[in-house]
Amino acid sequence: MATCEKCRSFYPIPEGEDDYAEGKGDCVCERKDAKGKWWDSKPVMGEATADKCPDYVQKK
Amino acid sequence: MATRHKPMEYKGKTIEFPFDNPAEETIPDSEVHEHLAKPTTERTKRLKGRCRWKHSAGGEFVEGDVKAGIERMRLITEAYKTDTGKPHVIRRANLLDNLLNKCTVIVQEDELIVGFNAENPNFVPLYPEQSYMACMDYILDPKIAPQPVEEAKELAEYWIEHSLQKKCETYFTQHEIDVMYSLTTFEVPGFAAGFNSVVPTYETVIEDGLLKRIELAEHHIAAAKEVLGAAHWNAPERLKLLPQIDLWQSMIISCKAVIAWARRHGRLCKIIAENFETNPKRKEELLKMADICQRVPAEPAQGLWDGLQSKWFVFLVLHALERYSSGFAHKPDKLLWPLYKASVIDKSFQAMSHEDAVELFECERLKISENAPGKSKGFRSVFPGSNDLFILTLGGLNRDGSDGCNDCTDAILEAARNIRTTEPSIAFRWHPKGRLKTKNLVFQCVRDGLGYPSIKHDIINTQQMLYYAQFSQNNNGATLEEAHDWVNVLCMSPGLCGRRKTQKTRSEGGSAIFSAKILETTLNNGYDWSFTNTQLGPQTGNVEDFKTFEDLWEAFREQFRWNIDLCIRAKDVSRYWEIRILENPFLSAIDDGCMELGRESMELSEQPNGWHNPITSITAANSLVAIKKLIYDDKKYTFQELIKALHSNWEGYEEMRKDFLNAPKWGNDDPYADEIVKDFFEDFLSGEMRKITNYSGGPVMPVGQAIGLYMEIGSRTGPTPDGRYGGEACDDGGISPYMGTDKKGPTAVLRSVSKVNSHTQKANLLNQRLSAPIMRSDKGFKIWLAYMNTWCDFEIDHIQFNVVSNEEMAAAQKEPEKHADLIVRVAGFSARFVDLSTYAQNTIMARHEQDFEVKDFEYLGVEL
Repeated sequence: MATCEKCRSFYPIPEGEDDYAEGKGDCVCERKDAKGKWWDSKPVMGEATADKCPDYVQKK
Repeated sequence: MATRHKPMEYKGKTIEFPFDNPAEETIPDSEVHEHLAKPTTERTKRLKGRCRWKHSAGGEFVEGDVKAGIERMRLITEAYKTDTGKPHVIRRANLLDNLLNKCTVIVQEDELIVGFNAENPNFVPLYPEQSYMACMDYILDPKIAPQPVEEAKELAEYWIEHSLQKKCETYFTQHEIDVMYSLTTFEVPGFAAGFNSVVPTYETVIEDGLLKRIELAEHHIAAAKEVLGAAHWNAPERLKLLPQIDLWQSMIISCKAVIAWARRHGRLCKIIAENFETNPKRKEELLKMADICQRVPAEPAQGLWDGLQSKWFVFLVLHALERYSSGFAHKPDKLLWPLYKASVIDKSFQAMSHEDAVELFECERLKISENAPGKSKGFRSVFPGSNDLFILTLGGLNRDGSDGCNDCTDAILEAARNIRTTEPSIAFRWHPKGRLKTKNLVFQCVRDGLGYPSIKHDIINTQQMLYYAQFSQNNNGATLEEAHDWVNVLCMSPGLCGRRKTQKTRSEGGSAIFSAKILETTLNNGYDWSFTNTQLGPQTGNVEDFKTFEDLWEAFREQFRWNIDLCIRAKDVSRYWEIRILENPFLSAIDDGCMELGRESMELSEQPNGWHNPITSITAANSLVAIKKLIYDDKKYTFQELIKALHSNWEGYEEMRKDFLNAPKWGNDDPYADEIVKDFFEDFLSGEMRKITNYSGGPVMPVGQAIGLYMEIGSRTGPTPDGRYGGEACDDGGISPYMGTDKKGPTAVLRSVSKVNSHTQKANLLNQRLSAPIMRSDKGFKIWLAYMNTWCDFEIDHIQFNVVSNEEMAAAQKEPEKHADLIVRVAGFSARFVDLSTYAQNTIMARHEQDFEVKDFEYLGVEL
């Protein structure tokens, strides 16, 4: 089963951060459209299922 | 080839008007504005090139990618549903906390200032807690609907019972609701439209940082608990502390949420630098941005970059996330001056050059240009060519009476001139002490056709702050020093800025009433025959029975009074419920008054600032002039004939229409017209409105302006006795002459307008269109400065300019794709000409282009 923590876009939130929680991370994706590039970040829990996530890419 | 102004004989000399920039000689009149943008750096050129504009035209977004996001709706609803047992102000804080902790944060390529209001840079957020109707505008339109649309609909429907609209409707009759929602004699009330505005107290965040605000709130809670536990329990005194403790607690929750959200941006910058970015220079920038977001707004800003980033985070929270509010009300050259000084002059923190500062201000302008709220279609329609109303204020005097213009003022003006964006607009406080260098930059922006800065009289408006202060309910209105700290709240009306006492809601001041339409109903005994076909106002008698002009005047007054009473009642009913269900814990946390007194921002009003906007007043006033002249004085026509002609839209009455059209008109220094118009503004509009006392305990004063409503309401107003056909646009701004009717030159306009005592009005918009060849000539600044000094001596509240030729506007109508940089002043805002509807474009072209003649130069006393 794919989970967020196994994804390339998952960056664990360092301890000491205001929003730190065990297993919690930032899901960071690069996006692009005709106007340009941007990055977005959403909080996710590492154990969350990512089977249906269109951005899921297994970490190498 | 460009057209030079023809030479003139003046004081025995032949005066030539060569272009100030000789290179313009070879640029055709039809494309001048396409050669004026000069972004300071390659970065801002790129950012402008890829700017995600959110402009709308005819109520539709101009760019096809713009859609509504669902994230804000979803996250605030989730929090609100799970928090039912808590004090409401805590629920509001938790709602913000849930949104900021879970929302998507965004960093775009090339940006130096980060943060956005929705989950995708092409999206706009929605506000179901403010207006169900505004949300449904999006949900029902497949092009812009939030996805998944079924979920969005469910979320919007959840809020119906909890919304401001539902709470407020209870207090009105069905007839009153029908009138209010018809957008006929006045603007739809804020509780239904969801349109709001605020003046954020940025100063406390920039100077203190949010950690300090948290500390203050904690201190107040501790002190309150000590009082609660003290000997000799006293219920009437001490129970008051309970809601205060809740409020301070909500402040702590919201400040912590904002700090954590800002730091999430910092973390994202760092992740991009370390994992995505390959350019070493950009990597370094991103790491600096990460450091900035980690420190601000938690801590005080130390340099200019800190200041702009901190301000941007606060702007997003207060204008787009905690609640939707229009505006960009602040005085950045005062707020940021110490930081500019630290970075640019002293080089003590974030050392940079003046040009680097200009680049940062250009970046900020582009951030504003990409920012838009989920306004209703109606409100998108009334701001044609813009994404929202964003107006900042510069200049004026400091608290100690010294000149408020500084190098930071200049950097902001240079950025505006260089990057050429419609937003944010700028208001410049004109004072005789203001330095010439800065006034020249103001001129350059005006000359280059930006339509801003719009210029406000510093002395009159400072005095007005003191006038309102006397009505303060806690005897803590503006002091003499604080009265110098004022900004335009939105397009036109001044209000305090600073650490406290600022305007927090549009139910205090804002919204419009339509004089011309009310006159039309007066002429028909309260009945609206041309649009709604209903009895809108009270029955005030058949005009055929009116024996004197005064009879008509008094009937009109009664109609106006009924409408304005309903307007202000609706605003105060909104305020009543805003206090109970739309608390703003973060806004309260950063206001010194709310913090000190433990009173919420919607409830505490230290400085009254009541106003309402009479729009289409010159159409109404010119109509009164024509009626008095042709029916009562000359007795050339009867009311019966006039009503028949109007109901026929003048068809079959062409000669009669010519007479009414040619009757004396406002703006020509004509004593006959001007006396009636003066009475209309002073006795009628101001006189009636000032009899009202609003929530804050002060009077409500008129702010004559127009936004895009002069077109929208024009289309709903039947033919008028000034000779206007039904459906045509009305006058384009508060006290501006009707388009094309000011034929006696620019100084005659000033003489007319100066007859209305500015102190009886809160503000009045004056549009002027000046000759482009004169303004672009090497004599342009000298002539304009003499004109402005006369304007100032006349004690006129406001003036703003269009400097663009009809050749260029006509060329843009033919080939819009070649004229993306052509900007025009519409009303209290500027717009890209090509984003306007043809109807709106034509109203700009129809404004009289004032040329200067020898008599004007003589009157101004200008030496050429």
